[in-house]
Amino acid sequence: MTRRGLASAALLMGAFTAGAPALASSLRVQLNADIRSTSPGVNRDDNTDAVVLHVVEGLVAYGDNAEVKPLLAESVAVSDDGRTYTFKLRKGVKFHNGAELGSADVLWSWQHYMNPKTEWRCLAEHDGRGRAKVEAVDAPDADTVVFRLDRPSALFLANLARTDCGMTGILHQDSVKPDGSWDKPVGTGPFRFTEWKRGEYIRLSRHEAYASRDGGPDGYAGSKRPLVDELRFIVVPDSSAAKAGLLRGDLDVVPNIPNADVRELEKEPKVQLSISTNMGTVGVLLQTRDPLLANVKLRQAIAAAIDTEQLVAAVTEGLGKRNNSIVPLTSRYYGAVEAQGYEHDPATARRLLAEVGYKGEPLVLFTNKRYPASFEAAVIVQAMLAAAGINVRLEVLEWATQLDRYNAGNYQMMAFLYSPRLDPALSFDAIMGPKDKQPRKVWDDPEAQALLDRAMVVSDPAERQRLFDELHRRFIAAVPMLMFYNGIDPGAVSRRVKGYRSSIFSKPLLWEVGLAD
Amino acid sequence: MLRFALTRILMAVPTLLIVAVSVFALIRLIPGDPAALMLGDLADPANLAELRRKLGLDQSLAAQFGIWFGHMLTGDLGTSITSGQPVAGLVLAKFWISARVVLAAVLLASLVAVPAGMIAAWRQNSLTDLALVGTATLLLSIPTFWLGLLMLLLFGLKLGWLPVIGYVGFAEDAGRALLYMIMPVATLFLHEIGVLLRMARASTLEVARLDYITHARAKGLRESTVLWRHAFKNAFGPTWTLIGIVLGNLLGGIAVVETVFTIPGLGRLLVDSIFARDYPVIQGCMLFVAAVYVLVNLIVDLCYPVFDPRVTAE
Repeated sequence: MTRRGLASAALLMGAFTAGAPALASSLRVQLNADIRSTSPGVNRDDNTDAVVLHVVEGLVAYGDNAEVKPLLAESVAVSDDGRTYTFKLRKGVKFHNGAELGSADVLWSWQHYMNPKTEWRCLAEHDGRGRAKVEAVDAPDADTVVFRLDRPSALFLANLARTDCGMTGILHQDSVKPDGSWDKPVGTGPFRFTEWKRGEYIRLSRHEAYASRDGGPDGYAGSKRPLVDELRFIVVPDSSAAKAGLLRGDLDVVPNIPNADVRELEKEPKVQLSISTNMGTVGVLLQTRDPLLANVKLRQAIAAAIDTEQLVAAVTEGLGKRNNSIVPLTSRYYGAVEAQGYEHDPATARRLLAEVGYKGEPLVLFTNKRYPASFEAAVIVQAMLAAAGINVRLEVLEWATQLDRYNAGNYQMMAFLYSPRLDPALSFDAIMGPKDKQPRKVWDDPEAQALLDRAMVVSDPAERQRLFDELHRRFIAAVPMLMFYNGIDPGAVSRRVKGYRSSIFSKPLLWEVGLAD
Repeated sequence: MLRFALTRILMAVPTLLIVAVSVFALIRLIPGDPAALMLGDLADPANLAELRRKLGLDQSLAAQFGIWFGHMLTGDLGTSITSGQPVAGLVLAKFWISARVVLAAVLLASLVAVPAGMIAAWRQNSLTDLALVGTATLLLSIPTFWLGLLMLLLFGLKLGWLPVIGYVGFAEDAGRALLYMIMPVATLFLHEIGVLLRMARASTLEVARLDYITHARAKGLRESTVLWRHAFKNAFGPTWTLIGIVLGNLLGGIAVVETVFTIPGLGRLLVDSIFARDYPVIQGCMLFVAAVYVLVNLIVDLCYPVFDPRVTAE
C-alpha cells in the first residue's frame, strides 16, 4: 500500500471512530463480568451490587469508615431496649419516575423483600432465622417508619446497609410489572437504569431530580451528586484488554487493575491511580481437625515461620499493609491490640516443631489462579515454610473445585480470600462457628463464639472494642488461619476523570465523579 | 441427493444423543456446585440448601437428566442458572455473533490460502514456495491470543486506528460494527491461512504428480490453464473438507479471541458457563456446537461433487 493509501485508510478509520456515539459526559467503566440481574440483593454478585447501588438507596448506608449512617433517613432513633428503630425520612427525595418518597414506599419495599418469592438473599437475617426477627413495620405518618425487633441486635442497621443485600434499597412500585414480576429498579439513586445489553454493557442515566445529602462524599452515604450524563459499564473480562482500553481512551475507569500493572501505569501520563485498602481478607486457612494441624503448636510454628511483612510486600508490590487481625485495617475497631500479630521467629518455629515431633510429614496447600493474590501468597508461604523445615506441597485447583472443598472443610491448608464484610462481627462470623454443623467454618471455639455472639448484640462501641480485642488475642493464639492483609484495590482512571477515589467497598463509586472538558 | 442428506441427518441423531449424555455426565463429574458459586464465600447452609432446591440440584442425577432430556426433546434447552434466560435463545443470539466473525475469517482465509498453497506447490522448492510455506508455518505457530494482543497493541494503542474494547452489532451501526470486527477477523484469518495453505499445497503436490497433468502439459496447454482447469478441482477436495472441519471447530471454539476482543459470542458464553457451572447453558452450547459441526460437515459433503465429479452423493 502506498503512503497515500495508508493515510487514507487511517483517515477512514479515524472517521469511523469519530462517529462513535461517545457523549462528552459519558463515563465508561470496566466490569470484569456481566451483572446477573437488576433486582437489588437478588441473584447478585459484586458486579451486580456495584451497578445496582448507583440506582437504589437504602434508609441507611455505609460511610467511608464503614460506619452505618442515615441515607434516605434523616435520622434514626433506637429505643432504650434496643428493639425499636424509628426512621424519619428525608423530605423532597424523588424516585426516578418523579414520585416523592414516603413511608408507604418503605413499607411496600419491605413487603417486597420479605416475600419469599422475591428470593432476597438477606431474608433469613430478618424473618427469624437470623439473630433478630423484624416483628412489625409501621408507618405512623408519611415521613416515619418504625421497625420492631423481637430482640436487640447490634447488626440490624448494618444488615440493612449491606451491599450484598442491595442496601435494602427503597423501590417504587413501578419496579415490578402488574403481575408482580420484576421489571427494572425504580429507585432514588443518583442514576436511573436505562439499558442493559447482556454480555456487552449497562447504561445508567443521570437522575436530574436527585436529592443529594450535603457534607461531601462519604462512601455510600454522604453527598452523591451525579456529575455526568451517563454511566456506561462495559463488560471487559480480560485485564490486558481493559488496560489497552484505558490507554486507548475507550475506557475511563478500570476499578481494579492487577497489582503488577501499578508501577507501569504510574508512569503513563494519560492515567492516574487511586489505591485503597478494602475490608476483604487474604490469608491461609488451617484445618484444625486435620490429624497433624489439630496440634496448636504446629499451627503456631507455621505462623512463626512466616514473615508477613515480606510476604505482603511481595504479593502486593509494596502496596499493601500487613494485618494479622480479622478486624480490617480501615475499621474503627482496629487499634493497638489488633496491630499485635504473629512474630516472625524461625528459632521459635524450630523449637515448636521439635516439641510436636514434626518429622517432615507433608502438608497440602490448595490455591487457585482465579485470584492471583491468593496464588502468589500460597507460593511464598510454601517457600517460607520450606525454609523452616515444613514440607508443604502446593496444589492448584480450579476455583469451583476449591470452593467445594472449602464448603466441605476438605483441606489441610487453603489459600483463601474473603470478600469484604463491613463490620468486624461479620468478619469474625465468616470464619467462626461449629464445624459439625457448618464444615466450612475455620475457627470452632465455643468460648470465643460466646464473645462474638455478645458483639452481635451490644451496640456500645467501647464494649464492642473490648470484645473484638479479646477475640483478636484468642485468634492469634489459636492460629485457625494465617491472616496476612486486607485486599488492595488499585483503580486506574483516565486523567480527564475528576474526583474518582477507590473505596473500601471494592466497588467503583461513580457519583461526585466528573469529566474534564 | 435428498436421500443422502436425510440419511446423514438421521445418522447425526445418535451422535447428538451421545453428546447429550456425555456432556451431562462429564460436567457433573467435575467438582463444583453452581449454587455455591453463586453465593460465594457469603453462603450459609440455609441459603445454599434453598438455592439448590430452587435450581433442582437437590434431585438425583437420574431425575435431573430425565427432566432435562424430556424438555430437550421438545426443543426446550432449559433456563440459565445465572442469568435466568432461556438457553435456546441465549445460544442462538451468541452464535450469530460468533458466526459473523468466523465465517468472515474462514472465507477470507480460504480465498487467500487456497491459491497461495497451489502456487507454492506449482513452484515447489522455489523462493516463492519457501516464503509461502515459511509464512504459513509461522502464522500457524503463533497462538491466537498472543496475535490478538499484539494487534491490540499495534493497531489499537500505538497507531490508534481501531477500537480495542467493546462490541457493536450490525443492526446498530454497520460502519462501526465493521470496524470492531477487523481485528478479531484478522487474528483468525492469519491463523487459519497457515492451516489451509499447507493443506492446499500438499494436495496440489499430490495431484501435480499424476499422469493426466503430464498429459495436459504434453498437449501444450499453458501452465496457468493446467493449474486452474485441471489441477484445481482435484486438489481442492481435501482442502474443502478441511475448511469444513475448521469452520466447525471455530464456531464452537473462539473463546480466546472473543475474550481478548470482548466479543459476547458463543465461545465466551461457554467458557463463562463452565466457570459458573451453569449446567443448562453448558449442555445447550455443547449440543448446539455438535449440531452445527454435523450440519457444516453435511454441507461440505453435499458440495463435494461440485468439485470432484467422481464423488457422488449417492
